[in-house]
Amino acid sequence: MGYVAVKGGTEAIENATDLVEFYRVRDQTSPVQLQQLQAQFRLAIDKIMGEGSFYAPEYGALALKQVEGDGLEAAFILRAFRATLSRKYYSAILDTKSMFVQRRISSSFRDIPGGQVLGPTRDYTQRLIDTRLVDETNEHIRAFLAGFASRIDAATPGEVTTFGKVVDILRAQGLLKEVRPEDRRVVDITREAVKFPAPRSARLQMLARAETGGIMALGYSSMRGHGGVHPTVGELRVGLVDVKVTDPAGRNRYIGRIRVTEAEMITEAQTAGKEAVPYYAIGYGLCFGQNETKAICMGILDRALRTEGNRAPANDQEFVLYHTDGIEAMGFTSHLKLPHYVTFQSGLSNLREAVDRERAAKKDQGQSSTAEPEPPEQPAVVFAENPDLTG
Amino acid sequence: MAPDRDYVLCECSLEALKTFVSDQLLPYYQVNLTKAPATCLTMVRAEDSVENQEFYLGEALTTECEVEVNGQAGYGICLGDEPDRAYCLATVDALFAAGDARLPTVEAFLAAQWAAIQQRERLEFSQIMRTKVDFKLMEQG
Repeated sequence: MGYVAVKGGTEAIENATDLVEFYRVRDQTSPVQLQQLQAQFRLAIDKIMGEGSFYAPEYGALALKQVEGDGLEAAFILRAFRATLSRKYYSAILDTKSMFVQRRISSSFRDIPGGQVLGPTRDYTQRLIDTRLVDETNEHIRAFLAGFASRIDAATPGEVTTFGKVVDILRAQGLLKEVRPEDRRVVDITREAVKFPAPRSARLQMLARAETGGIMALGYSSMRGHGGVHPTVGELRVGLVDVKVTDPAGRNRYIGRIRVTEAEMITEAQTAGKEAVPYYAIGYGLCFGQNETKAICMGILDRALRTEGNRAPANDQEFVLYHTDGIEAMGFTSHLKLPHYVTFQSGLSNLREAVDRERAAKKDQGQSSTAEPEPPEQPAVVFAENPDLTG
Repeated sequence: MAPDRDYVLCECSLEALKTFVSDQLLPYYQVNLTKAPATCLTMVRAEDSVENQEFYLGEALTTECEVEVNGQAGYGICLGDEPDRAYCLATVDALFAAGDARLPTVEAFLAAQWAAIQQRERLEFSQIMRTKVDFKLMEQG
């Protein structure tokens, strides 16, 4: 495929930039405040941060505003912005066991240590449009918050506790077995081009920044039989985890908390032979923000990518990892919208020559045998007004 | 449990922190800004919970700042685009490094903020725990 540089569109591009801005603001509604977006579009921003691989809620809100709510574009902008900053710190490994839990459930066990905590979820509600929000006012919000707060005795609130992990119970009972040993190198795919087979660290990093819909599609394909992994949720937890770094003086410092979603997906693992005891293995999912679909599907694909003997797309590292990065996929798709005049002209020219040759050949045959009718003339009028297409 | 100073300073009200530093600390010290607050990145490390396979989860926006008080360096680091908080963190860090006489004032501020943070978290957690499922078998009604 060949490319040539062209010019002449600068003014049109500038005008298009103004026009898209015009469409954003032409109704002259009040400017959307970033604080509003950050608070009321929490889940959209969580998704953008995860796919942008950049935890920065304030910039997630700004990106969302800038692109009129297009999540893929917003994630693209975040990832580009991230590239302008220097990496100064590496955190200590997150400790999800000491998470400030906002939600944690298990679909494998009814009784889990600390209990099932539904947390902030719409999973158990009907997906009916809430017309009350049409007329939502500040008074409504204040009244709701007052009523919500009144349910707790502010003088004696309960202590904050942490929760034991479900997988620790399975492990203690000897039901969990590690999958066969594999490459344990810690690779950073933002610094080192990924090669296949990729170490598990690279796979987990790529899945953590994958586009939610992309890994949902492949995770779903595996659950439907194309990949051999149909797990249950051992534990799904959402909450805040501490981030700590080493400062220039060498001291371990707390620098803040980030919201993450963690999924531990239980699957039955392959056994060596018919007589071997079956055991369970875990597929692991972890991503920025509250994004349960993504964490669950990451866990499914983590296992699917370690499943031997299947040849479904969900088992293929390159297929899964290269095609689920939303920024890469959108970028490549978007490039189709850029001018391809030269390459298309080349193809068009070849096609015309081939058609001419075929016509000539048929004409020759027609002269020797009159049974074959003449092909109709091509409708040249279609291209007549466009010099580029007239060849 | 003794409060972690950085935890309190990162989680407390920014307005309260700025007011405290500007009213209670800056009039008494010469704070030299050796590295102005600037944003950077922290790569967040994680590991899976069964095989402890380490991997990189993604990067987090971070602000860092460096000051000097009485010849003692102080470092302020926090998540987000938070230049004021990073400056306050660095100033308090330098004061603790210097072992200054006004530390009791700082400690009183930290204690008050710690209590406020704990109360806020307990209230939130209490609301969260109201969503805990109380399973009953069908025949239990």
